[in-house]
Amino acid sequence: MNLDRRKLLVGSAALAAGAAISQRLFQTPYHTDRRPALSRVAILHAQEYSEKLEDLLMQGLRLFGLNLTDRSVLLKPNLVDYIPGDAINTHPLLVASAAQCFKRLGAKRVVVGEGPGNQRDTHLLLSQSGFAEKLRHLQIDFVDLNRDQLASVKLRASYTDLGHLWLPRTVLESDFVVSMPKIKTHHWSGVTLSLKNMFGVVPGAKYGWPKNILHWKGIQQCVVDLCATVPIHFVIADGIVGMEGNGPLNGAARPLGTVVLADDPVAADATCARLMGFEPGGIPHIRETAKFLGNSSPAVIEQLAEAVQIPETPFHVVPEFEYLRVRQSESNSTPYSVQGG
Amino acid sequence: MKQLLSWQLPLGGWSYQARSLQAAMEPTCLSLLALRPLESDESDKGTKFLLSMQNPNGSWPAFEDDDREGSWTTSLALLALQGMSVYAAAVDKGRRWLLRSKGRESHWLWKWKFRTTDRHVRFDPDEFGWPWMPETNSWVVPTSFSLLALRQHLPPDQEAYARFRINRGIEMLFDRVCPGGGWNAGNGVVYGEPLAPHPDATAIALLALAGETSNPTVQSSLDWLEEVAHTCTAPWSLAWASMALSAHQRVATALLPSLLQSIDPCSIEDVATLAAVALALQPVSATKLLGAQS
Repeated sequence: MNLDRRKLLVGSAALAAGAAISQRLFQTPYHTDRRPALSRVAILHAQEYSEKLEDLLMQGLRLFGLNLTDRSVLLKPNLVDYIPGDAINTHPLLVASAAQCFKRLGAKRVVVGEGPGNQRDTHLLLSQSGFAEKLRHLQIDFVDLNRDQLASVKLRASYTDLGHLWLPRTVLESDFVVSMPKIKTHHWSGVTLSLKNMFGVVPGAKYGWPKNILHWKGIQQCVVDLCATVPIHFVIADGIVGMEGNGPLNGAARPLGTVVLADDPVAADATCARLMGFEPGGIPHIRETAKFLGNSSPAVIEQLAEAVQIPETPFHVVPEFEYLRVRQSESNSTPYSVQGG
Repeated sequence: MKQLLSWQLPLGGWSYQARSLQAAMEPTCLSLLALRPLESDESDKGTKFLLSMQNPNGSWPAFEDDDREGSWTTSLALLALQGMSVYAAAVDKGRRWLLRSKGRESHWLWKWKFRTTDRHVRFDPDEFGWPWMPETNSWVVPTSFSLLALRQHLPPDQEAYARFRINRGIEMLFDRVCPGGGWNAGNGVVYGEPLAPHPDATAIALLALAGETSNPTVQSSLDWLEEVAHTCTAPWSLAWASMALSAHQRVATALLPSLLQSIDPCSIEDVATLAAVALALQPVSATKLLGAQS
């Protein structure tokens, strides 16, 4: 067989390219399966934001037997923007209550940290949203994660080709990271719960306002890569009043009357999605993280407090996510109770 | 000013937070602009640090140790080095990088996408400006800073292209304005819903539009900013609002007491904010240094 040098080179290049593409296609995009054998979730009923939340939270947290002695705790609320009367942000009373509870549980330091994605003036946002006054009163430090000292971190999953992200030292050096989302819909990602909430740790000083590179690389994929890399140790989700429709900013308030606690962010988000009347598997970042990071199946989620109640009317969404809404006929066949059904 | 000087890092830069040892370009450039009238040794040291941070491609990183691809802070670095003829070569290299940098929506493929399948954010992809970082869309703040930096000196061999970019950038700002006036990050209307403006983004856009005072959009944005500034207590927003109102000959002196009250140099730890306030307290110098004279 005659094989000249040129053909050999072209053939080798084609083979190498083919191998690279195949590797990309067939390689598992996550490194290790870190799912716990059993995840625990506690759904607590709370109808309003009041000083009573601290006692309620404390009762809920005790169900998990957390040992926080001498550990530094970072509370990461969802603090996006301020529109008077809108249910955009995690309520400052819930965050303050959580800070008090973690102090009572022995934490050596509790800080609140956020890097808002739209508003550059974090001080203004803290002041308008009521956080500044509440945190000052309780002498709890706040860290603007958009302007924190940064370190390069190799991503522990490869759903995107980002490879690494610059992340705030405050996040990386915390012993116990608590994601505290608002339970709401999101016009780009379907929902914004404890996993999507972690976009707030990506620093604006490097990635801008908004963190547009995460949109270009795929919001759902970026959520997975980020949450595979930055551990969420606990979730406290604010569903006392959630948001439906055109979230995360322009949706309508939707009272849900719940606070969701969990030791697994995937289990937390799957449960919150069910409480919103959504099929969790329809949300790509929940579906993918459920393959290696946490549990979404009710069979491996222990409910420590109230049972999951699927609402008679699911949360409204933008048309692109209409498919998430579980129809009444389907919800009747699930093992959950149906609220008002 | 004393507090700002005390926060200068040993190598000459400034970090975002007083407790941090990692220099970042935004607080460094704002500090250098605020300290410019002093003509101090600290300023020289800071300027030399800034030059040492320039990437081989002419851009500047966002912070010390950053990847070398370049970032939005290139425009701030150019503003901080403006008028220093001894550093003309570095400035020229930076300006050329800035002219190459543009919002990703300017590419024909993405224009097509934003015109056909991705129309939830109301904007015209023909009107593009500058991104925060490469491979992303144009946004209001980096576009505004780039306009301020480029307008100060047009490279003779690229003058026509520079004018084209400046005009496109100005049109982009007008395209992204919020209904009723003012700017946020750059999304005026999403899913048919108007979004609210932010004082700092509005002020920075208005600085870049200092030559357009009579434009009705600029006037309505100035009206909005003037109204919110008088009740605002956040020093960062107040500082930029004060500079923008001065640049458009709106009386901003009433804001100065609020500006002074809003900041306690003993308790504040945000260096960029303190630098912005220090700059705003010298309104004539600030508008001149930023090239925001109408």
